[in-house]
Amino acid sequence: MIVGERKPMDEILAMLEPFGRVLVLACGGCVTVCLTGGEKQADELASQLRLAARRKGRQLTVDVDCITRQCDREFVANLKCNPADYDAVLSIACGVGVGFMSELFPAKPFLPGLNTTFYGACTANGIWQEYCYGCGDCVLAWTGGICPIARCSKSLINGACGGTNQGKCEVSRDMDCAWHVIYERLEAAGRLDELRKIRPPRDWRLDRSGGLRRLTHQELVDEEAGK
Amino acid sequence: MYPTQLRSTDIAAKPSLVAELMERQWAPCRYNCPVHADVRAYLEHIAQGHWREAIDTIRRHLPFAAVCGRVCHHPCEANCRRRDVDSAVAIRELKRFVAELQGSQGATVQRSARQDGPAVAIVGGGPSGLAAALELAKGGYRPTVFERFGRAGGIPATAIPEYRLPRSVVQVDVDWICAHGVELITGVAVGKDTTIEQLRKEGFKAVLIATGLSSGRGLAIPGAPREGVLGALEFLTDLGLGRRPAIGRDVLVIGGGNVAVDAARSALRLGAAGVRMMCLETREEMPAFEWEQREAEEEGITFIHRRGPAEAIAANGRVVGIKARKVTRVFDENKRFDPRYDDDDLIEVACDTLLIAIGQAADYGFLAGSAVQLDVRGRLNYNAATCQTGVPEVFACGEIVTPPGSVVEACASGQRAARAMDMYLSGRPVVLDDSLPPFIGQIPPETGEKVRKVVRQPVSAQPPEVRRTNLQEVDHNYAESAALREARRCMSCGAGAEVLIDKCAACLTCLRVCPFGIPVVTDVARIDSDRCQSCGICIAECPANAIVSRSREAGWIVRRTVAALEKTRGDGLRIVAYLCGHIATAGQWRGEEPLADGLVEMYLPSLSALGTLDILKAFESGADAVLVVTPQDSAERYPQAVRRLRKRVAQARSLLKDIGLKKSRIQLFELTRPTRQAVGEALLAAAQELRGGAIKPIGASR
Repeated sequence: MIVGERKPMDEILAMLEPFGRVLVLACGGCVTVCLTGGEKQADELASQLRLAARRKGRQLTVDVDCITRQCDREFVANLKCNPADYDAVLSIACGVGVGFMSELFPAKPFLPGLNTTFYGACTANGIWQEYCYGCGDCVLAWTGGICPIARCSKSLINGACGGTNQGKCEVSRDMDCAWHVIYERLEAAGRLDELRKIRPPRDWRLDRSGGLRRLTHQELVDEEAGK
Repeated sequence: MYPTQLRSTDIAAKPSLVAELMERQWAPCRYNCPVHADVRAYLEHIAQGHWREAIDTIRRHLPFAAVCGRVCHHPCEANCRRRDVDSAVAIRELKRFVAELQGSQGATVQRSARQDGPAVAIVGGGPSGLAAALELAKGGYRPTVFERFGRAGGIPATAIPEYRLPRSVVQVDVDWICAHGVELITGVAVGKDTTIEQLRKEGFKAVLIATGLSSGRGLAIPGAPREGVLGALEFLTDLGLGRRPAIGRDVLVIGGGNVAVDAARSALRLGAAGVRMMCLETREEMPAFEWEQREAEEEGITFIHRRGPAEAIAANGRVVGIKARKVTRVFDENKRFDPRYDDDDLIEVACDTLLIAIGQAADYGFLAGSAVQLDVRGRLNYNAATCQTGVPEVFACGEIVTPPGSVVEACASGQRAARAMDMYLSGRPVVLDDSLPPFIGQIPPETGEKVRKVVRQPVSAQPPEVRRTNLQEVDHNYAESAALREARRCMSCGAGAEVLIDKCAACLTCLRVCPFGIPVVTDVARIDSDRCQSCGICIAECPANAIVSRSREAGWIVRRTVAALEKTRGDGLRIVAYLCGHIATAGQWRGEEPLADGLVEMYLPSLSALGTLDILKAFESGADAVLVVTPQDSAERYPQAVRRLRKRVAQARSLLKDIGLKKSRIQLFELTRPTRQAVGEALLAAAQELRGGAIKPIGASR
């Protein structure tokens, strides 16, 4: 799932400075699951915004709405508040939602309330951790399921660098060396031979350096849109 | 059980979601109550010191609230889910507490705005007749109750001994019922002083027979003399009407029901030196309530089980004993009463008084001069489906047509007959809908063991050696503090969480925060109502606002806070204190003991429901600071609630800090001894410090 973190309040307040009527729009997808962009977080943020405005003696109307996902146009029909009635929409979806909604409502400022941070999973109550980088050329088959692109500071794919130190990364003593962890996982699984194989260079064109990425399921594409 | 799935669109369409959700599935206490009194609701009122609301809630379904507070067989308690944890909530005692505290004046009388419907006559002023009369009066009819004795109330007013049910308590209920426009005429025996036909001629459009079982069933014991043999019901009625029936020193009561126990205990109080009871049944088989048997035993009454009278022994025309044969069985294979005896196994039991309590019978004297018939078995010709006798405008209810039961069952029967009469009199077909909503099941052991145990508040009673000597009350009413503690044992069954399936993101938060391990997340979260403990923790934590409470409208804490803040005086800082209601007195709950101007005390059933957003909303509503007072975790109603509260307070403080408001505006107090004094001192000290310049009002535009 996509994980996002609330932007610093000062940044949000600065973004909203020019506006008197604001809709805080939550997303019922990933950011609800990671407890940053759900309807309740929107309610809390709206409450903060109203209090902050009152403190400064500023007139600000803040309403809240939420749809199932901000990354699918069909859910827009479920909006209870019309974005057209507001000066700006503060979306607390991930960047996908903010971008997609901006496309649907080009005349309306859709502002990001979150910083979209990573693709991750919940590792313990209240803790989410990055598991994937979205590099476009997955190597997990031979790394014991541990992503060296996401977890190695240098995104190396042929083993640890000289900066590995007692299992830790030279970048931070608090951070495990991804390749050390991969080695231990494969050793435990009796699959160390995976590391003896020479891997060809990765196709970095599949990463974002190749430009805007798209997924096309030809069997579902309408003729018009596919062109 | 998982009831029908609920969507947010359903919520929007419903004007009162709570009423709807609470009716979907009942708690077993309510389901098993013959009149379906909303037990959970009135216990919550009692827990919060709202006596008037409590008694009104009880009386909405149960007219004989005070009587039932003393003598009800309380199927609510027998089915209380607290039994799956420790022991049932003392529902009957709590009903007694609030009914007697409020008396007949303390309960709201909701008299029909118009009472100009047809006149109806009710024959018999016992629980079923008066319950029917009340329903009819509320429906705009003009009921008149004809009671043969000089006082209304039926068996509770005449034959239940005063040590169990003082007459003044019965009068509380009778007065309240009559205040609804029920006319009561006592000292008139229908069939003797007037007739059903005569009543019809006088303009009563319908007649309800509610005469009950007013005679003791006789027992033909060979050789029984006239002297020294008494019917238990007649004996009790004599006593109840203020006479002192003559009994000897050595009393033997025949029978094993509640009337038998009442007779035995009354005989003891009238001065009998020894009282024994003889019955066909074993102790376990006896129909008398277990607690009645126990109290009788404590008073020195002894039991002879599995013996039936064969022959009386008389001397000089007076009973001196009885020969009793052994009982080999009481019930047949189909559990029907069909006793068998061994005539060769006889014992002799000496006595000078024999009280016969083997059941009650109907007295059909009221039929004189009426077209109403008895059936071939000698019982009233009666259609249970419509409550009608063979004469369409003559209805019947209560024990004359139902199996013998308790007061609350008689009330239910009367209410049902009133509905039938209303249909008949308004020209509709008499079709009674007896269907009920489903009720929630038992608490599985793995959930029950996680629920905190709370000892049932005992009821103090006169010691047996004192109470056996007089007709004074045996047990005492709860003190206020005990009533509050006991009512707070109610687990609010069926009042818990409900998932809005269209909003649920299956994020697993509910599953992760539930202290009882109840939510299951498959496609969406499912919260089993059989297991949910109604703590509200998941509701406060759900990021999607996808969980609602069955018993409280969303945003209830905010609305209460807004209402309370509107009433605050003074123009200084406004401080809202949220306090655990489990540590409050009734007066505090009712807001009668405010600590200081500008300090709003908000008592909640548990702080487990107080969410981060509620705290922020308090500031939005005009609070300048929020104080939260909880007992220590071990004294909290729900496990982990205090831990959760700490996290929410920390989160709310961090959100305030985000917008430049000091963290000291939110303070949490965990008190080891949360007495009124300790709470007051903590709150006043905090308020003083805040007012001393630590913080300023948040903004002019509050």
